[in-house]
Amino acid sequence: MNIFMKRFGWALLMLGMAQPAFGGSEMTSLNMVEDGRTIYERSCLICHGASGKGDGPAAFYNAAFSASRARDFTVGNYKFRSTVSGSLPVDQDLFRTVTDGIPGSMPSFSGLSIEQRWQVVAYIKTFYSGFQEETPESISLNGSPIPSTAASIQRGKALFEEMDCASCHGKQARGDGSVALAGELKDSRGLLISPNDLTNRTGWKNGTTVRDMVRTLFTGLDGTPMPSYESQLAGHKEDAWHLANYILSLSHHE
Amino acid sequence: MAYGERFFQPCLKTALALAFVLFSTSLAGCISEAEAIPAFARKYEVNCHVCHTRQPRLNPFGEQFLENGYQMPGTEDGGIVAKLKYGDLTLDQVSNYLGVLFATTGIEHTELKREIEGSGDQTELGSPTILRLFTAGTITNNVGFFVETTTIFGRSSELELGRAFVTLNNLGGMNWGHLRVGRFDPSAYFSMARGRPQFVPIGPKLAPPFGAFSTPTVNRWSLTQSAYASKFYGLFNRSRTAIQPYDSTLFNSPEEVGIDIHGRPFGDWFLYQVGVLNGGNERAGDSNNSKDWYVMTRFDYAQSHDFSANLSGFAYFGNHNAKVSTNADVSRSRYGVGARMRYKWLDIYGAYTIDRVTDLPSGMESTFDSTATGVTVEAHAMVTDRLLLGTRYDHLDAGGLLATRKSATFVGVQAKYYLRSNMAFTVRDDFNVRNVEGGTSAARNLRNRFSVDLSIVF
Repeated sequence: MNIFMKRFGWALLMLGMAQPAFGGSEMTSLNMVEDGRTIYERSCLICHGASGKGDGPAAFYNAAFSASRARDFTVGNYKFRSTVSGSLPVDQDLFRTVTDGIPGSMPSFSGLSIEQRWQVVAYIKTFYSGFQEETPESISLNGSPIPSTAASIQRGKALFEEMDCASCHGKQARGDGSVALAGELKDSRGLLISPNDLTNRTGWKNGTTVRDMVRTLFTGLDGTPMPSYESQLAGHKEDAWHLANYILSLSHHE
Repeated sequence: MAYGERFFQPCLKTALALAFVLFSTSLAGCISEAEAIPAFARKYEVNCHVCHTRQPRLNPFGEQFLENGYQMPGTEDGGIVAKLKYGDLTLDQVSNYLGVLFATTGIEHTELKREIEGSGDQTELGSPTILRLFTAGTITNNVGFFVETTTIFGRSSELELGRAFVTLNNLGGMNWGHLRVGRFDPSAYFSMARGRPQFVPIGPKLAPPFGAFSTPTVNRWSLTQSAYASKFYGLFNRSRTAIQPYDSTLFNSPEEVGIDIHGRPFGDWFLYQVGVLNGGNERAGDSNNSKDWYVMTRFDYAQSHDFSANLSGFAYFGNHNAKVSTNADVSRSRYGVGARMRYKWLDIYGAYTIDRVTDLPSGMESTFDSTATGVTVEAHAMVTDRLLLGTRYDHLDAGGLLATRKSATFVGVQAKYYLRSNMAFTVRDDFNVRNVEGGTSAARNLRNRFSVDLSIVF
């Protein structure tokens, strides 16, 4: 098959997948899962384990004494989502993590083709039956970003103090808040976890754009002490953009 | 004097060790802002433990990264495919392909039986210091490379080329065959890879006579893995230089010129490796047209529960790859098995090898033992997030000239404290398990060696 036609056909298939979990024909889904299984066993099993419990032979070394250990796909608890806290991620969330990796913990698998990454996403979802029962939806980020003006940053700084972000991230946002220093922050596995140093974007695990930051504020990072601030920001969602502008202003980025 | 007394007696040794630790700790504080990490970790923006149990030992993920020619398991990495102009090249891009290892022995104290001229108890500071530069990565999809140079100050101030090879990966399909061409360590995929020891090999101290078919006096026995040692007394390479019984050779040479292929065509449970080498452990090339060849297989077990294990076996067939003092060529071969088990913070590995010399000249059979064996077992465990404890057992049942051969057995204990994931202090002691004998045998005269080392990789 002509490679262009093959890619075109694949793009059509992806469009179909954008709706419910598996869209398209049942046979196509089964083939995807089976192909995804092959890729998973080559590329993912070493850390996430044959049964997807995050107990692969290499998982322990990456986080022996502190978070974050390889994701347990069997419990349906995902950190990096665009959905409300407690929900499953949408396919695009999983695809984004496979593609970009997680700084510090998981390398990017952009070396896999786009087709292969979607296939492995399809297989990962088979570890948790909830994916067949729920239809997660991404939350709305409430319009376009607010320009990063001095006023916006100033408002964001005030919000940073009001919302007590400093207790974990520290007054200078270097990840050295009093709760963190006391060793009280742990993930769902009971491993010590450090808040992000918000002055250094290279370690940000859920993206570095203003949209990524706002998404993180709304969704939280399930399984970690970072909560969703959706309820606090309800009714004045523009404050999320101000807070994101302030946090981004703390770090230099080209 | 009891062993314990010998160990704790030297106050000078303790004082110097404390001073070295304090100095180096302050140094570490000065550079803590640099957040130095090795090249592959920089390139992929992950921490060292994604690939290592503890550097330099690889975890299963790191092993598959290595097997795939420095590409993520199951993937093809394009590397830098576009030609960059000088002005477009950033320091980050350069640092993603360059790595540096710096290691120094701050304090070294050796106790010897004072019966060899020029030897005796010694305390040394700051020697040797090793600086190793390497560049590695991928050039384009499925084409990788590795080049390293090493300087050992005190022995030579020159850069010496170490391993240097190109890899062509995934020939015939994903994981079917990965080809290496150049100077490489044949044992890199074996259960107990020679080049990734937690117990760094300790070099010997040699004295005259040097020269063709001369065997230098060994004032201090070298502490290397006995399983990988030459094991024979009275062998010479084709440059007529003595091959010392502790030298790592054959399948376990530091680097050999050749070509080999490995892969996992039937899945992750089975790895094959076949190769051809110039052989003879000769860094300067091989004037002999006959080649050595080898085959290795490895079986991997376990895919979950934080557990992994593997079992390997190899056969290395030498072909006129050494000489005896009569200038006659002999053939050295090696057969070995190795195993490794990892469970959470515990890592145990070992190897047993049998070496055989064939084609001996007639008349030498009665004075030359043509079979020798060696065993090395090593274990280490992280007991806190910064402290690694380890131990190693080495036994060499020597062969070669019956008049001079001496077997050796050593045990090492080591504590490695990581100031950072890429910077560690090591306090180590190796002691001779056998009773000290008189005579000129270096294997029996080295009683004990204590050292404090510092290593930094960035």
